[in-house]
Amino acid sequence: MNGRLIPPGDGVPLCFRRVSVGYGDRTVVREASFDVRPGEFVGLVGPNGAGKSTLLRAVTGGAEVKTGDITAGDSVVRLHERERARLIGVVPQSQPSVFAFTARAFVEMGRHAHLGRLESLRPEDHAVVGEVMERTDTARLADERVDELSGGDLQRLTLAQALAQQPRVLLLDEPTSHLDLNHALQVLDLVRSLADGGMAVLGVFHDLGIAARYADRISIVAEGGVLPPRAPAEALDAATISQVFGVRAVVRTDPVTGTVAITPVLRGEDIARAESGMRVGLVCGSGTGASLMRQLVLAGHSVACGALNRGDVDQAVAEALGARLVELPPFGEMDETAVAEVAESFSEVCCIVVCPTPFGRANLPNLHAAVTSGRPLILMGDMGPDRDFAGGEARRLWNEAVSHGAVQARSEADALVELERCRAEKG
Amino acid sequence: MTASSERNRHALTLVGLTIALAAAIIVGVAFGAVSLPPGEVLGAVSRSLSGHGSTLADALVVDLRLPRVLLAALVGASLALAGVLYQALFKNPLADPYILGVSSGAGLGATLSLSLLGTSYLARAAGVPLGAFAGALLTMLLVVRLASRRGRLDPTSLLLAGIAISYTLSAVTSFVLVFDRESMTSVVYWMMGGLGNRSWGHVTTLGAMLAAGSMVPLLFHRELDLMLLGDERAGQLGVAVERFKLLALGSASLVVAGAVSVSGLIGFVGLMTPHMVRLVVGPRHRLLLPASALAGAIVLVVADLLARIVLAPVEIPVGIVTALAGGPFFVWLLVRKERSR
Repeated sequence: MNGRLIPPGDGVPLCFRRVSVGYGDRTVVREASFDVRPGEFVGLVGPNGAGKSTLLRAVTGGAEVKTGDITAGDSVVRLHERERARLIGVVPQSQPSVFAFTARAFVEMGRHAHLGRLESLRPEDHAVVGEVMERTDTARLADERVDELSGGDLQRLTLAQALAQQPRVLLLDEPTSHLDLNHALQVLDLVRSLADGGMAVLGVFHDLGIAARYADRISIVAEGGVLPPRAPAEALDAATISQVFGVRAVVRTDPVTGTVAITPVLRGEDIARAESGMRVGLVCGSGTGASLMRQLVLAGHSVACGALNRGDVDQAVAEALGARLVELPPFGEMDETAVAEVAESFSEVCCIVVCPTPFGRANLPNLHAAVTSGRPLILMGDMGPDRDFAGGEARRLWNEAVSHGAVQARSEADALVELERCRAEKG
Repeated sequence: MTASSERNRHALTLVGLTIALAAAIIVGVAFGAVSLPPGEVLGAVSRSLSGHGSTLADALVVDLRLPRVLLAALVGASLALAGVLYQALFKNPLADPYILGVSSGAGLGATLSLSLLGTSYLARAAGVPLGAFAGALLTMLLVVRLASRRGRLDPTSLLLAGIAISYTLSAVTSFVLVFDRESMTSVVYWMMGGLGNRSWGHVTTLGAMLAAGSMVPLLFHRELDLMLLGDERAGQLGVAVERFKLLALGSASLVVAGAVSVSGLIGFVGLMTPHMVRLVVGPRHRLLLPASALAGAIVLVVADLLARIVLAPVEIPVGIVTALAGGPFFVWLLVRKERSR
């Protein structure tokens, strides 16, 4: 399937050994040590300016290796440029071309390191160029001028140019940044199949989800260091993302791809400083409380969520936002300990919001704890038959709350207004 | 497009340019203060090749006009070749030996070696080209150094540094001449860019320098293509960038030094010619290099012809003709570049 794209023979690992790289007097990344094995796709992620691209550029001499050694079979700094170009292909962040090469001539430049001084392209070179253009969906552009192409076309041509080198190691710097969804998947599938065919691939990605979906292992570059590559699910947990990117994110397994999916919820910096915050109780579940929870945390309040099942959307959001909750196993019911913990956490809040959650036997204790806590209640929506799956018990608790003076809110905005009023009354 | 049809197109382009150059040379020889029919030019050349040249007209053709026209062709080819090299190495379509100050550097080098070594035959034959080469190379290095910020070469700084250095070196040349009044008149006239009173010796010197300076570019035409993608990308694709740059800049300095030492400062040929040729044949150097050299030769033969006949019998230095055409061209390029931003 990978025909001429991968030369026959053994793969070559790309190894970083205590490598520090930088420019001039400045060291950007210190003491990076990790390997990319043949047949493996390693993703580099991290904040802007952390040194991901610098690390890639150091492999081909674009940044200075200050200490340590990068090897691809041999030490790369000792390789002659021609040998290196036959071994390592690079797809840099693309830059617009100002010279009017045809797309085919542009890709043919990738063959340079395979040609002798006075040699022109041989039939096998034309065959390689034809195949890489086919595989990158650029064959139809062959006679177009590269200075007139779109950023996406140029990016795929740059990949084609790198693949024309028939490298054993492939370095990618955000190879899909200019691509539409379809072409991005095409390029990533192609790179994935090259890795499966024995190429060692190291790619810088901004999109954590893309990295998690396509890479075998992910390494995080931050604050001048490189964490050793680990499986995506281990490398990208909510705590790491919060620490490295300053973003609270929901991390779960995507049911369709089976890989880690990351939904950023809010930026850590946007959380209001907590002097004005209050503790708010939330009876929620199945995603009915996620949006309100986000707004409360943004406003600087701290949230206690009652008991939630692992795998529930609100549970994931609560975890990402650092809300207090009692965690239950998937589909598990609340036992006495859980009931007591919820009652305790609700006793410390100044107000409880009951989100428009449907109630059944499993989560009814949350509502019960709220109603019996003696805290002011804000009830969202109506308690109709479409919400009460606990044989009328939820409705009974609801009516009891209303009779004790609970406020009803039509929307999240209403609920937030009521919360403010509640705080003002408390002084 | 298939490889063979492309090769045919290349061959056709080069053959066409060669024929045009031959025609320009014949016309250039035929016209002048005394005009001859073109057939007479060929006759004179064949008679002199077979050793029977004897008439006054034959002597006019073979000893005066022909070396001058061939020299114009070689100078034009050299300047165009250097322009292609500079434009590729600096990825700057406005680069040319005159604008980068390299011509002035070569001029100063030549002037210094004239006033230090005297005007003996050896000084003129070897000292002037050597001095010009040293001047060109040092100026190039100085300009690149001035325009670099932390290893990056800013295109605008490069042009500014080139122009500033060019003026400074011209002033230094004039200063040297103040102390050396003997050679002043001839040097000043030479610096304006003239092809008058040139002999076959000049043709051989420049021919040899052009041949030597063309080796690297013609053998390394693919590297020149790759350099257009940027230094780092060229390195990733297998070019030993720093070594290649030095080789190519050395070659460019050599041909510029050759051109300057026989004909003084002739501007804008190295800028205009590659531009026009690139529009027709595209950016690949395998064709761009020889096509530009041929076109540069044609341009300068025609410019020299104009310089001789416009105000005949008074001759204008050919550098004035190229500057009159090239200055506005440069401004047009600048304006177009600004607008396209």
